[in-house]
Amino acid sequence: MAGELNEAVVAAQAGDEEAFRFLYRRLQPGLLRYLTALVGAEAEDVASETWLQISRDLPTFTGGEFRAWTVTIARNRAMDHLRRQRRRPSVPVPVQALSDLAGDADTAERAGETLGTEAALELIATLPPREAEAVLLRAVIGLDAETAGRVLGRRAGAVRTAAHRGLRRLAALVQRHDPPPTAVPSATPPRPRADRSASGTPHVGPADGDVRGNR
Amino acid sequence: MTFRQPARPGQRPADRSESDRLLDAARAARDAAASRPGPAAGREDTAGLGRPDRDPLARLLAAAAGPTRPGELAGEEAALAAFRAARAAPAPTPAQAPRRRRLTVGAVAWIGTLAATATAGVAVAAGTLDRTEEPAPPPAPSTAPVSPTDSGPVTPRPTRSDPGRSPAPTATPGGVGPSTPARPGASSADTRAPGRTTGPGHSGAGVQLPGLCRAYLAKSAAQRESALAKPGFAPLVAAAGGAAEVENFCRDLLSRADSGRPPPAIPATPAGPTETGRRP
Repeated sequence: MAGELNEAVVAAQAGDEEAFRFLYRRLQPGLLRYLTALVGAEAEDVASETWLQISRDLPTFTGGEFRAWTVTIARNRAMDHLRRQRRRPSVPVPVQALSDLAGDADTAERAGETLGTEAALELIATLPPREAEAVLLRAVIGLDAETAGRVLGRRAGAVRTAAHRGLRRLAALVQRHDPPPTAVPSATPPRPRADRSASGTPHVGPADGDVRGNR
Repeated sequence: MTFRQPARPGQRPADRSESDRLLDAARAARDAAASRPGPAAGREDTAGLGRPDRDPLARLLAAAAGPTRPGELAGEEAALAAFRAARAAPAPTPAQAPRRRRLTVGAVAWIGTLAATATAGVAVAAGTLDRTEEPAPPPAPSTAPVSPTDSGPVTPRPTRSDPGRSPAPTATPGGVGPSTPARPGASSADTRAPGRTTGPGHSGAGVQLPGLCRAYLAKSAAQRESALAKPGFAPLVAAAGGAAEVENFCRDLLSRADSGRPPPAIPATPAGPTETGRRP
């Protein structure tokens, strides 16, 4: 993964458009999800600004963790945006915007999967900002604690603590609406996706409802 | 896997290490899914991490890091357009520009110091040079007897390339100008100067040559040869057309300089008028 990414970065720096496309496809979903937790509905705009800057500054990237580099740009753009908007970083994820994003999910399975991602991101976005950022940088962007700490300008230990608190909070949120794991039908179907969508919908559904209800 | 869930599920994750494992698992699943899109991604989940299907928290994290959703790549073409635009008009890499600039400033300051030891007149220029390190302040007009109104052009010696060049739209043929006006001038000084007749690049050479000449002529005959081997004198050697020509070149240049006012650059282009006309 990292190797692939680095190769693509080098190729893109040399002007390879397809390599840049590859980078976009690989990184944009995570960036967008992270940005959604930071700036809500404006995430797409901020993501566009982010890619503009990535395009422009790509020649200056001199190695290291490319995902950290891009997410730092994204975070800076988000902070600029928030300063402009004078809003606080933890903005509830607009449910409608997320539904729009998933507009052309047609099959039931697909819908279940998409809903799962949406609901999960919504739940994470309800965390205190520091915890939400730590969880997203670790799990969604895919950085280790040290790298996430550099992005956030904090020590790795602080990031681990924040992520841990966030996970505990999330666990409590999920447990409130989930039956304990032992009660989940554990007969693993041939395709885990099907399992997730079948059992996942009921699980995340109530959580989703709770999120909406809380706002 | 059940032994991984020690207490009541609500108390998980028990510590930071367990949280780390959960987060890393989500990360790994995400990467696996990203590497092989389609149904195979799901299969990867079972093979590597059965947990996401059992533990709600792990499942939630896996969902958050789940496969790309349809709308998420909507900006792809816009991003590619930005990429193309950036490649078409490549902004000079800021990582290199300051380094080059520092180097140039260092060399100029060094030459200025040399020159200052030679003559008092150049010492003034050297003082001015130091100030032009900052982009904004104009060179001291007091050294220019001709037209105190325009700061840059009339004092060809202190005018390094940057202040004169950056505001001129013609100095950036690549069309890079509007984005970062200061940098193109700094990084492209070497490549663009030769093609220009009246350009600041030449006035930049004019800045150095008299000072270099004075420094050169001030040396004893024994020192002169070794001095010309130093990189700081390379412009002088190049301008004279060889080390053997330097002495004649310098005497000629300085005699012209002393008869006129500020010594012009080598191409003998009157810097003042052209620069003034060129200014936007």
